[in-house]
Amino acid sequence: MNYQHPQPQPPQQSGEGKHDDDASVTEFLASLLEYTPTIPDELVEHYLGKSGFQCPDVRLIRLVAVATQKFVAEVASDALQHCKARQASIVKDKGNKQQKDKRLILTMDDLSKALHEYGVNVKHQEYYADSPSTGLDPTTREE
Amino acid sequence: MNNVGANTHRNNNRTQAGRPAVDDFGFAVSRIAVGRICETVGFESFRDSALNSFADIAFRYLRDLGKAAGFYANLAGRTECNVFDILRALEDLNFQGFSGASVVSNCITSSGMVREIMEYVETAEEIPFAYQLPRFPVSRERRMVPCFDHMGETPPANHIPSWLPTLPDPHTYRQSPPWNDRKSDLRAVKLEQVRQRRKTERPLLNLQQRLSTYGPVGRPTNSDYVPAENAQGTQVVERNPFLVSPLVAGDTDISVVNPPDLPWGGPMNDNRVSVFEAFTPAIEAVRDRLSDEANGDGMCKVLPEKRPAVQFKFKLSKKVLGHSLDLVLRDGNLGKPVSVIVHEEERNDKMGRAEYILRQSTENPQELTQF
Repeated sequence: MNYQHPQPQPPQQSGEGKHDDDASVTEFLASLLEYTPTIPDELVEHYLGKSGFQCPDVRLIRLVAVATQKFVAEVASDALQHCKARQASIVKDKGNKQQKDKRLILTMDDLSKALHEYGVNVKHQEYYADSPSTGLDPTTREE
Repeated sequence: MNNVGANTHRNNNRTQAGRPAVDDFGFAVSRIAVGRICETVGFESFRDSALNSFADIAFRYLRDLGKAAGFYANLAGRTECNVFDILRALEDLNFQGFSGASVVSNCITSSGMVREIMEYVETAEEIPFAYQLPRFPVSRERRMVPCFDHMGETPPANHIPSWLPTLPDPHTYRQSPPWNDRKSDLRAVKLEQVRQRRKTERPLLNLQQRLSTYGPVGRPTNSDYVPAENAQGTQVVERNPFLVSPLVAGDTDISVVNPPDLPWGGPMNDNRVSVFEAFTPAIEAVRDRLSDEANGDGMCKVLPEKRPAVQFKFKLSKKVLGHSLDLVLRDGNLGKPVSVIVHEEERNDKMGRAEYILRQSTENPQELTQF
């Protein structure tokens, strides 16, 4: 699976680098056996089976689970940043008289902002109206 | 905030239809897992809709990973994926880019993607899933319809080969009359009932006959009431031990009481006597009635020499024939109450008596042993 390099590589690195990379990956896969991802193996196997992924190896299942966990953690940390930023701005406006509720709640708002950077557009209806013409006033409503 | 979001369809599917969606279990578990990861990141609580959307998106990412990895494996002419397929899929689905992405000729293992993941594994704390999950979805053994060959049947038409599954049974698609054998059962039950009734009735009738033939003195007499009446009447009166003059030995011819030869034992004697005593007023009343009819009112005007005995019988014995034998007022001149009893008794036909006896026997099962 190693390609022929058209670009010149530092000669001392070429052979060892590949070996190092391979070795590191092998080590990493071995370490995955000890690491238990938060997403259970059975669940990952169920969803991978739905998509046509065939693999009996547990390490690869764990690899996929870890990758998904990493994705979730990144999105969640971004949403947390948004949440904290909003809380900070509110506290700054109202001063110290009102202690803002310290609880960090994952809201649809923060999630949609965080996911927007990942290319996922999640739009959340704030409320449902009875009919399309309820309270129709184009000047005050945002589309 | 309403419980709505990107998963409106799924929520509606569940709440409106009332039936569980296909992937409810997997979705619920994925919600738990995603919630747990967010907790470690720093969130303390979640909006329901936000968590639903997040879980949906995360596992859509996982499914896409699998799909892309499978695609790469197929592209290389394999059906089973290996680590490189997954790494390429990861590179494809990566949102934010990684170092070395623009260098296409590098070995895949030296890409920044792998390094990022390795860093994540090393830095992030290990949080195992809280529950033990079974393998799901559970596949059930399917019952196959046997083919014609297995059943040993021949297909109904020539164009149907014998290795095809059999046709369904006609009762599954055609209405057939229900198999009803209750009629014969009912008849048999009724016959059995009648037979039992007859069986219980016979010994009681025998008893009655015997008592009527043997009479109070215990000597077998005619079965007819009428000729024995006079003798019975005087002898009944004499039988009262309190009003009879003491007997002198050898003075009178004392009639010997020979109890009828009944198969029942000693302790039944009292009851047997009481039964007979129950019959006595009936007998007397019949005698009176018949004599009234024969002689006009002659018998009524003639006072008997001896005052007829008024005998009170107090018994704690059980009811024998339905009459309250605890207190029976026996008086020959008291025609009315006695006659009522007589008429009641004589009005009972065979069937009614049998039914009555049967009822008594069921109420007091011990009494049946006396007969």
